[in-house]
Amino acid sequence: MTRVISILFWLSLAAVLAFITLPLLVVVAASFSPTATVTFQPFEWTFRWYGDLLSNRWLDPFLTSLKIATVVAATSGVLGLLAAYCIVYERLPGSDVLMSYLLSPLSVPQIVKGVAIVLFLSMIGFQGFLGTPALIAAHVVLALPFVTRMVATSLANFDANLDRAAQILGAGKLQRIRHVLLPMIKPGVLSGVTFAFIISFNNIPLSVFLVRPGDSTLPITVINYLEYSLDPVMAAVNVASMAFILVVIFLFEKIGGFSAQIHGGSK
Amino acid sequence: MSSLALDSSPPRTRRRFTGWFSYLALSPSLVVLAIFFALPMGIMIGMSFADPQTLSPTLDNYHRFLTDGLSLAGFCRTAIMSLLVAVCVTALGYPVAYFLARSRTRWRAVVFALALSPELAGVVLRTYGWLIILEDRGFINDVLLYLGLIASPLPLSKNLFAVVVGLTHVVLPFGILSLMTSIQGIDPNLERAAQMLGASRLSVIRFIVLPLSVPGIVSSMLIAFTMAASAYATPALLGGAGFKVLATMIYEQVLFYINWPFASVMAISLLVMMLAISFAGVRYESRRRLRTAGAKGDN
Repeated sequence: MTRVISILFWLSLAAVLAFITLPLLVVVAASFSPTATVTFQPFEWTFRWYGDLLSNRWLDPFLTSLKIATVVAATSGVLGLLAAYCIVYERLPGSDVLMSYLLSPLSVPQIVKGVAIVLFLSMIGFQGFLGTPALIAAHVVLALPFVTRMVATSLANFDANLDRAAQILGAGKLQRIRHVLLPMIKPGVLSGVTFAFIISFNNIPLSVFLVRPGDSTLPITVINYLEYSLDPVMAAVNVASMAFILVVIFLFEKIGGFSAQIHGGSK
Repeated sequence: MSSLALDSSPPRTRRRFTGWFSYLALSPSLVVLAIFFALPMGIMIGMSFADPQTLSPTLDNYHRFLTDGLSLAGFCRTAIMSLLVAVCVTALGYPVAYFLARSRTRWRAVVFALALSPELAGVVLRTYGWLIILEDRGFINDVLLYLGLIASPLPLSKNLFAVVVGLTHVVLPFGILSLMTSIQGIDPNLERAAQMLGASRLSVIRFIVLPLSVPGIVSSMLIAFTMAASAYATPALLGGAGFKVLATMIYEQVLFYINWPFASVMAISLLVMMLAISFAGVRYESRRRLRTAGAKGDN
């Protein structure tokens, strides 16, 4: 009986893991297949679709997404760092209220935020703002609460005795921030910035309202295309964009991101 | 969030300088959120009370939402779909979470990476994968036709089934994480004790692990429900015109019918659904805290 149950447990575990990995494997396989349909029969491998990626059709939206995500990551990183510093470290009066105000966008679904922003822009007659500027503004609103929360968490874990020790040894305020506080919370800030980059780069529900023909992000271009065609070039686009995200994570990790945090960088 | 403010207590010097400087440093965030979040939300709520033609104040949009049949049906479809996703995510995530919480072997790292890797792939890639698998000439139909088990392709896409499968896949990593945290909090000695007293593996799960992980089950269901209800890309691609949810209906109202007031009403209905679910979660959590605090007080 016990044996049967443990076999069932392992089977269910394997089934769930297969369910998780299946669509990813299928997309990778499709990106090398000559036709859009993935069959279990052997097919000729081709790299043709990856060659097609270098056309303007895919490069332009990729560069737009890259530009937007970079600006969003930098802006929300700086704003989130300043906001979390003031609220958690300086403990301004009313910090609880300020913090819940800064985190309030988290409780509103993205699609609702998207409607509100595009409605607002058309009310004040700023339709020309659609495209990159509106996307940047909306993605900052989306990313800022996440960054603020991540930085606030690492600030809350920051040992204030280190700060006191530096002060006793005669360090000024700016010196303490520069040489004690910032190095200690760097992993939190970097993971916040990476996260902001990824949610901007992959975003759909907000972007879908704010793009403009000729000024569209990569994921939106892809889903508009997918609505009427399952062209295998889409698989290549998706695999390439996932590889790009992995490279971004790897780079930030190299600068000293998450694993430092996991392995007790701040605690 | 209040706990965040309590932990660090930096030395208090030169308050006057830090006072105005802090407000100055904080102001960009406050202003950005005011202009691009608070103000638009206010305008949207105001717009929901405006007549689509004349913009004069009216309750007609809400009346239409409740009576035209289609909108309320979309609302219910969204709720049912999200509930199904919540159940699937929790049921599928539980064995993985249990393994991750209890395993001490090196397979743990492998399973952990496999379980969370889809999160890096983005929603479009995964949804595209499910499109290839589920469409009429897709992978599953292809295999079944080849084996001669079916005569014509099964309708696997553009319906509730496809959307639930796709969304379950999107949300599963979050469900696994929250279940894992909860199971890790259960003392493994309880399971050992029960086993030593002769309980079978099944009754250990049934009477020890499951009851103690109820908070994790609740939070995994809440996360899954809210993520599913507000998802856009997966229902748009896997459901299409055959299975419309609030998110895709809102998109239609904005970009095809250009009916701002009605789009606002639909967006508000989605927001209300989310807030109701989150409120239920917060209430459950605070009552549980009270109960456990009371139980500890008795000892």
